[in-house]
Amino acid sequence: MGTLSPDSPWTIWVIFSPLAGAVFTFLWPRRARLAVPLVALGTVGSVACLVWQVAELGVQSHALGGWAAPLGINLYADGLSAMMLLTTALVGAAVTFYATEYFRRASETARYFWPLWLCLWTALNALFLSWDIFNLYVAFELLGLAAIALVALAGSADALTGAMRYLLVSLLGSLTYLLGVALFYSTYGTLDIGLLGDLTAPSAASWAATGLMVAGLLLKTALFPLHFWLPPAHAAAPTPVSAILSALVVKASFYLLLRLWLEVFPVTAAGLGHLLGLLGALAIVWGSLQALRQTRLKLLVAYSTVAQLGYLFLAFPLALSPVAATAWSASVFFILSHALAKAAMFLAAGNILRFAGHDRIAELGRAPYGVSLSWAAFGVAGISIIGLPPSVGFAAKWLQLEAALAGGQWWWTLPIVGGGLLATAYVFKIISCVFSQNGRTSGTNGISWRMEWTAFGLSLAALGIGFAAPQLLALLNSGTPLALHEVGSAP
Amino acid sequence: MNAAMLYALTGAGLFALGLYALAVQAHLLRKIIAFNVMGSGAFLVLGALAHRAPDQVADPVPHAMVITGIVVAVSATAFALVLMLRVQSETGQPHLPEQPSD
Amino acid sequence: MDGAVNAAAWAFDALLVLTLLWLAWRVLMGPDLFKSIVFFIAFGLVMALAWVRLRAPDVALAEAAIGAGLTGALFLAALSRLAAGERIANAKRPVENSDTGKSTRPHRGVRMVFIAMSALFFGGLAAALLSLPAEAPGLTIQVAENLSTSGVSNPVTAVLLNFRGYDTLLEMGVLFLAVVAAWSLTPAPKEPVSPPGIVLASFVRVLSPMLLLAAGYLLWAGTHAPGGAFQAGSVLAAAAVLLLLSGKDMKANWPEWPLRVVLGLGLGVFIAIGLVMMLIGHRFLEYPLDYAGDLILLIEVAATLSIGVTLAALFLGGRPQRDERK
Repeated sequence: MGTLSPDSPWTIWVIFSPLAGAVFTFLWPRRARLAVPLVALGTVGSVACLVWQVAELGVQSHALGGWAAPLGINLYADGLSAMMLLTTALVGAAVTFYATEYFRRASETARYFWPLWLCLWTALNALFLSWDIFNLYVAFELLGLAAIALVALAGSADALTGAMRYLLVSLLGSLTYLLGVALFYSTYGTLDIGLLGDLTAPSAASWAATGLMVAGLLLKTALFPLHFWLPPAHAAAPTPVSAILSALVVKASFYLLLRLWLEVFPVTAAGLGHLLGLLGALAIVWGSLQALRQTRLKLLVAYSTVAQLGYLFLAFPLALSPVAATAWSASVFFILSHALAKAAMFLAAGNILRFAGHDRIAELGRAPYGVSLSWAAFGVAGISIIGLPPSVGFAAKWLQLEAALAGGQWWWTLPIVGGGLLATAYVFKIISCVFSQNGRTSGTNGISWRMEWTAFGLSLAALGIGFAAPQLLALLNSGTPLALHEVGSAP
Repeated sequence: MNAAMLYALTGAGLFALGLYALAVQAHLLRKIIAFNVMGSGAFLVLGALAHRAPDQVADPVPHAMVITGIVVAVSATAFALVLMLRVQSETGQPHLPEQPSD
Repeated sequence: MDGAVNAAAWAFDALLVLTLLWLAWRVLMGPDLFKSIVFFIAFGLVMALAWVRLRAPDVALAEAAIGAGLTGALFLAALSRLAAGERIANAKRPVENSDTGKSTRPHRGVRMVFIAMSALFFGGLAAALLSLPAEAPGLTIQVAENLSTSGVSNPVTAVLLNFRGYDTLLEMGVLFLAVVAAWSLTPAPKEPVSPPGIVLASFVRVLSPMLLLAAGYLLWAGTHAPGGAFQAGSVLAAAAVLLLLSGKDMKANWPEWPLRVVLGLGLGVFIAIGLVMMLIGHRFLEYPLDYAGDLILLIEVAATLSIGVTLAALFLGGRPQRDERK
């Protein structure tokens, strides 16, 4: 299905439902409890309609202002965008539900959670739909600012320094990306991804632009060794924010890297692909080893994110073979599985933290009966992180192993399998707390059923969506986003 | 080399200078100032290359991009400054603490 | 004669470029932070000159007002708040080596590495830039062709508010978000109120209405000459900042809810018009030909108010203090 259906209104509603909600909750914070569920419902509903359109009718687009590229900005929704929007909607809805309970005791700073989170959701949706490289820069700034402000909401010294470090990294990444945009525009006279795809050819300027954009996006995706900012920020943030960051925000820059790699960057050298794969493998090993060393629960989960992000980058070398589409599909499935599982883990960790008053693993000990469902959520989410069937994580690993073996690059199976073993180790490290004899029967804060069930529900989703893998693959291929864009072919 | 290229190279130079200062200076306010200089450099590259348009009128699209960029930069700067002041009030210092190397 | 003009232009450009680079160096590596900020403002003004030279008067206005003026004011305010914070921190503990922005350099070897990396970066970028053709029209032709149907005659305004209006909308979102984020972090710092000197007080009294007039002019002129909502909004913000600096205690009179409405007004109007266009059958933000000019002006008026108030609120650096009763 490659037919282009122009001017879908759902692309607009997907972006502007959360944005209107953000303005509303800023103007009327008292009405937030009423408005937020409506806004969330509207956003999820719009995403559902758009995803249905993409699945049934093919690529959707919208020429904003009535001007076609290169003069105007286009929105573009194909299978890849649809998968990202779907992931964001699932995790976003769950986190919204969780946060209505988490911020029940409305403090001054809690009031600001809603406008900030809804702006972040807007930025994500706008990013996944934008087909213009400068527009993507503005969307990234919106995303980064919202994410950093949300981290800083926690108010602790750790959160503030983590947020500041995140800000410095984010600005550096954005400026580098912007310089790349400047070079691409100055060389080819357009900002539209589709048109750039037709025009880009290897040259000094386009190589420099590619390098700059890749560097900026790698910083934002926290690929080893540029990962140093991620664990402090993700661990110190308020619980729903940690979930949003690990599940969604870091994936946005990876999505853009993938999109530009497929569509815009000139004939990509094998060397760069192998380098990215190598860094990904190192991320898996290093992140997992660091996770094993951690004494605090949220930091462990954050390092797990660093490790899991490494899997995404294995697709780059694997795609340098005839089975490219399989390799890319694996990465997208990793995005989906990691988003659901990691969000579940962070929400569960947050429940445990609130219940016990601390998150020192050694002392989390016995009698976790007040939050037993959260421990269960941890375990079930762990299944997806480790990559056991029938979870989506398993589907993703299966696709990657298939790509590695079919493409003749068998050595990549080592980090894939090794990563699974290491993940088993650190998941077990957490679960073993349930059976340990240390620690006292602590915990006086009641954790509401909503918070526990959200965490558990997300982990079940990570497990169960694996059954829908064939349908998701079909969705992903709508508009053939994963085929390398040939110069001169129509989008 | 015409005027456009001269200014473009200047923009690149400003970006490189800002990058060096960002790496070397520890004080957060200096880092934020460095970001502003880097941003100005990137905008200058964009605008200078727009000056290559023939006739009397320069390409307006990069100008619009630069104006957008300037506004985004002031927004980010303003927020960064407020965050920096919070960091100072919590940790007592306008520096990022040394991170335990991982 | 032509040769002499060319040579003069070249000399001017060379001087401008050298000044920019020298100012940037003083800003970044100068030992005194206050002087660095003052040099930064000068840097912004010289940058505005460069924009004029590059046939970008709209950008020059924006750079002078926002890049040099407002950003400089933000830095100076931050510096004074840092110093105040440090006095508090020093009072709580024994006075050690205070560090009011003295640049502490890392080890010489590390510096050499960074210099080398920056030089390499510059080299690569310069090579890429020099490989570009000397003349390139970009999108000038497409903009010129469609300018007559855009509703305005200033091409930059046409791009900002019509052709690429969605970018501007998201940018208004970033401005809005910056205020929300700043308010989420902290209440506005209480500055010690000292009575303004007679020079400042009378100066501000004369200047504020003139600034308001200038803002209105820039807004109106933006449709056919250099100017526009962002430039006008920043002049408005400058007037507000001057009033604040001259001691007029606006915080006590902050009616909070109207303030929030104005902050959200620009973004709200923009989104509303975009959606209305879609609901009447056009695409999002697609103006009907007859009303394009009027709609753009409407958006710009709302945006100017919002931008002015937003930038002033960012200068104040935090949310308004409320009564506990509320």
